[in-house]
Amino acid sequence: MRDVIVAPSPGLDLRRHYGHHQSLAIRAGGLIFCSGMIAVNPETGEREHGTVTSEARRIFENLKLLLESAGSSLDRLIQVHAMIYDRIEYDVLNRLYRQYVPNAPPARTVMSVQIEAGFKVMLDVVAAA
Amino acid sequence: VTVEGEWIMSLRREVIEPNNPASGGSGAPPLSHGIRGGEFVFLSGIVAVDPVTGERVHDTVAAETQQILTSMARLLESAGSSLTKVVKVNVLIYSMLEYNNMNEVYREFFPVDPPARTACGARLSGGSKVEIECVALA
Repeated sequence: MRDVIVAPSPGLDLRRHYGHHQSLAIRAGGLIFCSGMIAVNPETGEREHGTVTSEARRIFENLKLLLESAGSSLDRLIQVHAMIYDRIEYDVLNRLYRQYVPNAPPARTVMSVQIEAGFKVMLDVVAAA
Repeated sequence: VTVEGEWIMSLRREVIEPNNPASGGSGAPPLSHGIRGGEFVFLSGIVAVDPVTGERVHDTVAAETQQILTSMARLLESAGSSLTKVVKVNVLIYSMLEYNNMNEVYREFFPVDPPARTACGARLSGGSKVEIECVALA
C-alpha cells in the first residue's frame, strides 16, 4: 500500500509553487516518508528566508500540520535528516530543535549541504503513521 | 514464542543483487546494492556507470540522471519492485544550480504520484555530478 498524502494547506504543495516533481509525503508500510521541508508560508507557499531559528521553527510548524493531517504527530517521528547550510549553526539548530522534540527525540543525522534557493535549513523526516 | 512467532518479530533481511553486476570485484566498495528489510527495499546511492564495463560515466547532470534512474529501475525490478513503488528518493547533486537539469529528466521517470524527495547539493566522490538513493516497497 502506497498512498500519497495530500497537502493539508495549499502553500505546502511545492509542486504547485515551485515546479518540484515530488509528493509532499508518502504513506507506506506503516510509515510516513516526507519530502525535504523548507520554510514556506503554509497558506501562500511564499518562501520565508530567515535565520536558522526562524526557518527551523517554520519547518517544524509545517511538519506538525502535515503529520497531524495524516494521523501522525511530532511525537511519532522516527528519523530526521537535518540539513543546514553551515556546521557552525549546529548549536543554534539544536536550541530550537529540542523545543519541538523534548522527549525521546527521534534518531537524527545533521549534515551541512547546499540547500535550494539559499535556504539555511531543510528537514527530511520519517514518522510512524 | 514459536519459531514462526520469532520469524514474524525479526524482519527478514535479504541482499539484492543486480541482474548485471558489472561493478563487482575485490576493489568494489563494502556495500550491497540493495537490501530488503521487512516490506521495504533500501538501495545504496547510485552514480552513473556504464552498464557493460562498470566504469563511471562522467557526463552532464541530465545524462547522469538518465543513466542512474535507468539503473535504479533495473535494480528495483531485479528485487521484484519497480519505480512506481518508490516511496522516498534522496538526490545529491554537485551544485544546486543544476537542480532543474536534474528535475527535467527525473520527472520523465516518475510521471504519476511521484515519491517524496529530498534534493541537496553535496560534494560527491569520484567526480560524479549526481547520486541518487531510494526506499521502495518490496
